[in-house]
Amino acid sequence: MNAPDPVLASVLQRRLRAITQEMGLTLLRTTRSPILSEARDFVTGLYDAEGRILEQAEYIPILAFALAPACRAVIAAFGRDVHPGDVFLHNDVFSGGNQNNDVAVFRPVFHEGRLVAWAATKGHQADIGGAQAGGYNPRATEVWQEALRIPPLRVVERGQLRRDVWNLVLANVRLPIVAEDLEAQIGGTVVGERGVLELYRRHGAAALERHLEALFDAGERRMRSELRRIPDGTYRGESVVFYDGHHPGSRHRIVVTIAKRGSDIAFDYTGTDPQTVGFVNAPYASSFSAVILTLLMLVDPDLPHNEGILRPVRVHIPRGTILNAEFPAATTFGNTLAGPHSDAIFRALAPALPDRVSAGWNRMLGMTVTGRDPRRGRRYVDILFLALKGGSGAVRGTDGYDHIGLINTAGGLLAQDYEMLEVHTPHLLRRHEYLADSAGPGRWRGGLGVETEFEVHGEDVTGVVFGDGVDEEARAFGLFGGGPGALNSIELTLPDGTRVVPRSKDVVAIPRGTRFRQRAGGGGGFGDPRERPAELVAAEVRDGVLSRAAARRDYGVEVDAETFEVERVTGGRRP
Amino acid sequence: MIAKSGYRIGADVGGTFTDFLLQPALGRPRAVKVPTTPPDPTDGFFAGLAEMATGEGRSLGEFLAEVELIVHGTTITTNAVLTGDVARVGLLTTRGFRDALAMRRGIREAQYDNRYRAPEPLVPRWLRLPVTERVDATGAVVAPLDDRDVEDALARFAAVGVEAVAVCFLHAWANPAHEVTAARLATAALPGAYVTRSSAILPQIRFTERVSTTVLNAAVGPVLARYLERLTTRLALTGFRGTLLVMQSNGGVAAPATARAAAASTLLSGPAAAPTAGTAYAATHGLRDFLTVDMGGTSFDVCLVRDGAAMLTSEGRIGRYPFGLPMLAIHTIGAGGGSIAWIDDGGLLRVGPRSAGAAPGPACYGRGGSAPTCTDADLLLGLLDPAGFLGGRLRLDPGAARAAVEGLAARLGLGVEAAAAGIVEVIDANMAAGIRHVTVERGHDPRALPLVVAGGAGPVHAAGIAHELGITRILVPRDSSIFCAAGMLFADLRHDLVQTLVVPVDGLDADRLRGVCAALARDGHAALAGEGVPAARRALALACDVRYVGQYHEITVPLLAEEADAADLSGVAKRFHEAHDRLYGYALPDTPLELVNVRGVATGLVDKPRLPEAPAGGAARTLRRGRRRAWLAAERAFGEVDLYDGLGLGAGARLAGPALVELPLTTVVVPPEWRLETDRHGSFVLEPA
Repeated sequence: MNAPDPVLASVLQRRLRAITQEMGLTLLRTTRSPILSEARDFVTGLYDAEGRILEQAEYIPILAFALAPACRAVIAAFGRDVHPGDVFLHNDVFSGGNQNNDVAVFRPVFHEGRLVAWAATKGHQADIGGAQAGGYNPRATEVWQEALRIPPLRVVERGQLRRDVWNLVLANVRLPIVAEDLEAQIGGTVVGERGVLELYRRHGAAALERHLEALFDAGERRMRSELRRIPDGTYRGESVVFYDGHHPGSRHRIVVTIAKRGSDIAFDYTGTDPQTVGFVNAPYASSFSAVILTLLMLVDPDLPHNEGILRPVRVHIPRGTILNAEFPAATTFGNTLAGPHSDAIFRALAPALPDRVSAGWNRMLGMTVTGRDPRRGRRYVDILFLALKGGSGAVRGTDGYDHIGLINTAGGLLAQDYEMLEVHTPHLLRRHEYLADSAGPGRWRGGLGVETEFEVHGEDVTGVVFGDGVDEEARAFGLFGGGPGALNSIELTLPDGTRVVPRSKDVVAIPRGTRFRQRAGGGGGFGDPRERPAELVAAEVRDGVLSRAAARRDYGVEVDAETFEVERVTGGRRP
Repeated sequence: MIAKSGYRIGADVGGTFTDFLLQPALGRPRAVKVPTTPPDPTDGFFAGLAEMATGEGRSLGEFLAEVELIVHGTTITTNAVLTGDVARVGLLTTRGFRDALAMRRGIREAQYDNRYRAPEPLVPRWLRLPVTERVDATGAVVAPLDDRDVEDALARFAAVGVEAVAVCFLHAWANPAHEVTAARLATAALPGAYVTRSSAILPQIRFTERVSTTVLNAAVGPVLARYLERLTTRLALTGFRGTLLVMQSNGGVAAPATARAAAASTLLSGPAAAPTAGTAYAATHGLRDFLTVDMGGTSFDVCLVRDGAAMLTSEGRIGRYPFGLPMLAIHTIGAGGGSIAWIDDGGLLRVGPRSAGAAPGPACYGRGGSAPTCTDADLLLGLLDPAGFLGGRLRLDPGAARAAVEGLAARLGLGVEAAAAGIVEVIDANMAAGIRHVTVERGHDPRALPLVVAGGAGPVHAAGIAHELGITRILVPRDSSIFCAAGMLFADLRHDLVQTLVVPVDGLDADRLRGVCAALARDGHAALAGEGVPAARRALALACDVRYVGQYHEITVPLLAEEADAADLSGVAKRFHEAHDRLYGYALPDTPLELVNVRGVATGLVDKPRLPEAPAGGAARTLRRGRRRAWLAAERAFGEVDLYDGLGLGAGARLAGPALVELPLTTVVVPPEWRLETDRHGSFVLEPA
């Protein structure tokens, strides 16, 4: 066998990336649900015949590293019974899925009669059955109360839609747009298949496959070279998840022990608390994705995303814990656990990697609303993405990112456009602005959170609150002397003037005319705030994102109320 | 105002060079290239005019008196944005929404990079002032405009020397009344300030894009106004009595006063002329569908032309700022002669996007550069003549190129030449990916599209790119190095208009649609009339942005005049389904449609110069300069190739690859089993033999 050609390998890497991006663009343009077409809550990817990652376009990373496990589940279920023109669906969290609503579509790619690859898309469906529209059911204690389970399922056989199977799935889903969005996802896999076959035609199977192996090896080498930069050692981190939705005040620990030796890294979650009775649990694939996306923030952001980069990484999560719940647990909250989960990893590695770890990100608190739009006489579902996007944690050298949203999206989640939102959804926005004093103070401050207000003009509206970051201890933490970010809150003012402050995991009826107000908090600060240049502090007072009182209290900077000049600086070492 | 005799000049003020094409009333055009003078680009502009005057044996005053038309492309607004050297802007916006400009919908482009910073907003928060007012999506007033709020905000702007005021209110596309009032108050309170409102510049739904576009317009408005003032004054003082037109991002031209009011429409002024130029050259071969590619020192621009018209986008970006005005969909990637080759930690060869630029430049320039670049690889592969680069003005040093590539080759375990070939292959693949982005990803098959090639490095790499994509026709205009300047003389006056109208296509209110179309037509005609275009030379084309009910993205399809008069959208629906099928692989003919925007393009036709005929003669055989050892990419081996003097090749000359056709500013690579033919205008056409 000839040695692989590094030039061809490089060219292939670029082509594979282009194919997954083209698949993503197709989804972006054709899907209906705003969760997909506006917020971009989906991923696309290519896998080899064994289900190894060739390349992915990770609009929302928490879904991404759960595609390969699901692909392997399809392979395990169907073995050799896979044919050209087949299409498979999958969402089952107990066979590689990360969240019930995140439905994957797989298309096998055949070259000269041989299965050579899989093209896949995965997207957050507006509904996938279960007891609660939209999927977030805090009352669920079993998976069947959350969603329709779809284990590896053939919906298209040799190019023929299995109409009965398709109808069975959609008969268990509330919204007709789900059918259209699944069709768009299937269309995305056609684009992927076309691209892969073009590569086979151009290079021939033998040369192509040898070079794909070379790409895995190159990815592995790059990850190992990054991991070598982390000092060897064993690092322990913890964080707490608050309230399981059934026992007010309940606390659940995540414990990670990270062993770094040479160019290998292992994450061990022994000591993590048992799974909860409700939906505050993660399936393994979601937790695995959270590990990888957090790790990717600690290495060169330019790494290729193929199977090779995963080879030096071991993840052990004991079964029956909150991060690897056993069948038939409810788990829809699992993706959201990426927040506290990444906190534990950053805390563990802070002593070893002070230049790379991030202070805490705002732990997202959100609400899904479903109701009827009286203007069109139709049902609508919306995850109020624009309201839930808080700030990220600061890192050494850079302030946190404002209004970025939960860490499991890594900044890939788009907030709705105000005007399009009002055309599509019967809500009248009153405010959407940065929330002053929400950033954790620091030499580098956390990212700013936002404040949102709107009037609900829909009918029969139900809101489901999910998320975190409301308890004092759940503030985005500061690092190396930086302070924590502001908390999250949701408050409803009903038409009769009653104020309602729903807790996370509450299901609330929202009468027409209700005024909704949400605060998404900021990220944690990094380093001693008294070392932040006073002029930067004064500039943020002038901009109105920092109050004079907070400037005085947190930064020791007295700012003139009229001129916004620095009047006096107290304490600390200023560079 | 339409030139009939006398000189016409296309002038492209770029970042490094200012290019001119001088077109006399009779006779052959002449190309002139002078250095750009950044502190005041009018200096370089006049240096070029003086050189042309001398060439014509006239004084500058005599010469300018005979110039009828100057079409001017400039990067002045682009550079102002990219360097942050823009006007101080104050933004008036709806209370509660002052941060949309900075938030950009909360996106972080580099997902895993916790050190990534969002672009600095063009208006700081303390100058983004909220006023009480609210209109809803139907245009109904929810809260009236509070004039006191506006006046207070304007007083604050005045106190800190704001030069431009941007007004952008929620849903102003549905009802501009509040913006009109606020803009009027701003003009009164800040005399001399540049005032712009979103409902005038872009009355189109989607607040993020609209506020960003309005602010971009305000930020570059005073910059462009000052520059045009200086230029027109200086021209008038020197004796120019003709017409000055400014190249816009949409591929059309406009009078200075129009350009001044919509300054942001010049943000892509320079490169926008390339597809126009390409259209002129391609038309002589009956081509209406093709790609223009321009490979310079640091970047590679590609644009798709379909049915004789360059593709436009209204979802563009300037730097990292969203931009909603229609502009040519020119896709740029970091690939050029100066692109640096490197090896990543995984051992893979990469090229770009970092570039050695013009200084220090590629190693072979001998100006202190030591990094291996694309040009070094081209030289080592025998594709460039060390003595003939830039018309012989720069002698290339093959030893320096070899030294630069050696280290890289050793790490790859390859010989120097194989490494150089790898560099070329990788950068060609990168450029091919850039072409896929504007073709395959938008439902067009690149194999059917000829390449029209510009830029110094373009003709060297065109064959490699074509090979990568399966393209079988390449057109290299002889003046490809001043392509954009030439294109400016072929551009019509053009104004893009839009009005959002979100309504279901079924049961459409006919009078509303007619009203919107009539208003667009009125505005388009008024703009052209103001530029002196007679009615007989004006054209107005309408189009609709349509989507399936519930979709979030629209497709633009033509709306015929008679359909607009009859308010009949059945043809629009048919075109939409076809386009959706072509773009995304499926259509849903039974699903209801929604109209989102109505668009108008007002065109004022100008007389186009005729492409000059190339002198006959100059058969290939007599112009063979010899042979050289050069890399044959398709065979992955070196071979002996024929060298030709490109300047001497007359119309009808034919030659067979492998060959290199050498011109003062570039080299055309003709691969084995391809042939080259000179057309009657002297352009080179490459096709498989």
